[in-house]
Amino acid sequence: MDTTDKALTVERAYDDLLRRSLSSISGDLARLIYLASTRDYNTGRYHHDGLAARFRVDVASQALELAHRQTFYRIAARSLEDLVGELDLYINSSRQNRDEVIQVWQKLEPYRVALPVNVNVVVAQLFVSNIRLALAILRQRLGREELRALAS
Amino acid sequence: MIDSLGLLVGVLLLLILMVLATKGWMGARQLHDPPAGPNEGELPEPCPREFVSMVFSRTDRDFVHGLNSRGVEQLFQRERKKVALVWIRQTSALVRKAVSEHAFAARQSKNLDFLKEVNILGQFLILITSCWILTIAIQTAGPVWLSGLANYAQRLSQQVERLQGSFQAGILATAKGTRVT
Repeated sequence: MDTTDKALTVERAYDDLLRRSLSSISGDLARLIYLASTRDYNTGRYHHDGLAARFRVDVASQALELAHRQTFYRIAARSLEDLVGELDLYINSSRQNRDEVIQVWQKLEPYRVALPVNVNVVVAQLFVSNIRLALAILRQRLGREELRALAS
Repeated sequence: MIDSLGLLVGVLLLLILMVLATKGWMGARQLHDPPAGPNEGELPEPCPREFVSMVFSRTDRDFVHGLNSRGVEQLFQRERKKVALVWIRQTSALVRKAVSEHAFAARQSKNLDFLKEVNILGQFLILITSCWILTIAIQTAGPVWLSGLANYAQRLSQQVERLQGSFQAGILATAKGTRVT
């Protein structure tokens, strides 16, 4: 397979990934977490059984990597206000205790694992920083909601 | 009397500047946990312009200000300062790396253009001084409080890109010159 053919196949695999898997996930943050979870912690290679079966293991891996990078840059370019909305959507969709999720995210910072390899350091720092802020804002909102509930 | 007062004010100003410079330098050095980036020895890619604008933009600050939470506002200032300092550090690294690569190529060359080299040295000094001034300004006031800093940061970013481009062209020309001689 020459370079052009391979690029076209990766593009097809990428479209397939968008159509079948990513379109059913609501929110870019949830997509980012999902894509990061397809990456092996030790090797850094991406794996998706369905995609690998339809295309090839290496093609699937490249398509996942591409989707991961694009989703990351898209979400890193969001304003803080938008990111708070994204994070809120993600936490709500997890169907777990909101306060607990926020606290765990603030302590463990699991979103750091969602960074693709070799992204620009400033963009990566901005993303981490904005998530930290979004968590603080959501926690503050939650606290105010609780106070209001107690008062009424 | 006026002379000694002037001297005292001068010394005080100098001391304040030195404290700010040290604070800026320490702040830039103490930045911990930089997220995954290029490996040691690799030239980092310049930060895309839209992200530089975001770091210095007032949109997020206005949003945070509207939340009426002192704690969140303080966290925002700390976080933005940190990101801005990472950007400065990356920009300085890019300038230094570009210049050292150019200097290496220039040492190999036998047909150096003196005026061109002086011009490059001038650009390098301006850029490094700008980074230094920005570090102090960010440490002192924070990136989003300085009006016009975003534009200045953008121009600096573009200058670095241009400098890199001209250095690359210079290196290629020098390499050709070396082969000919």
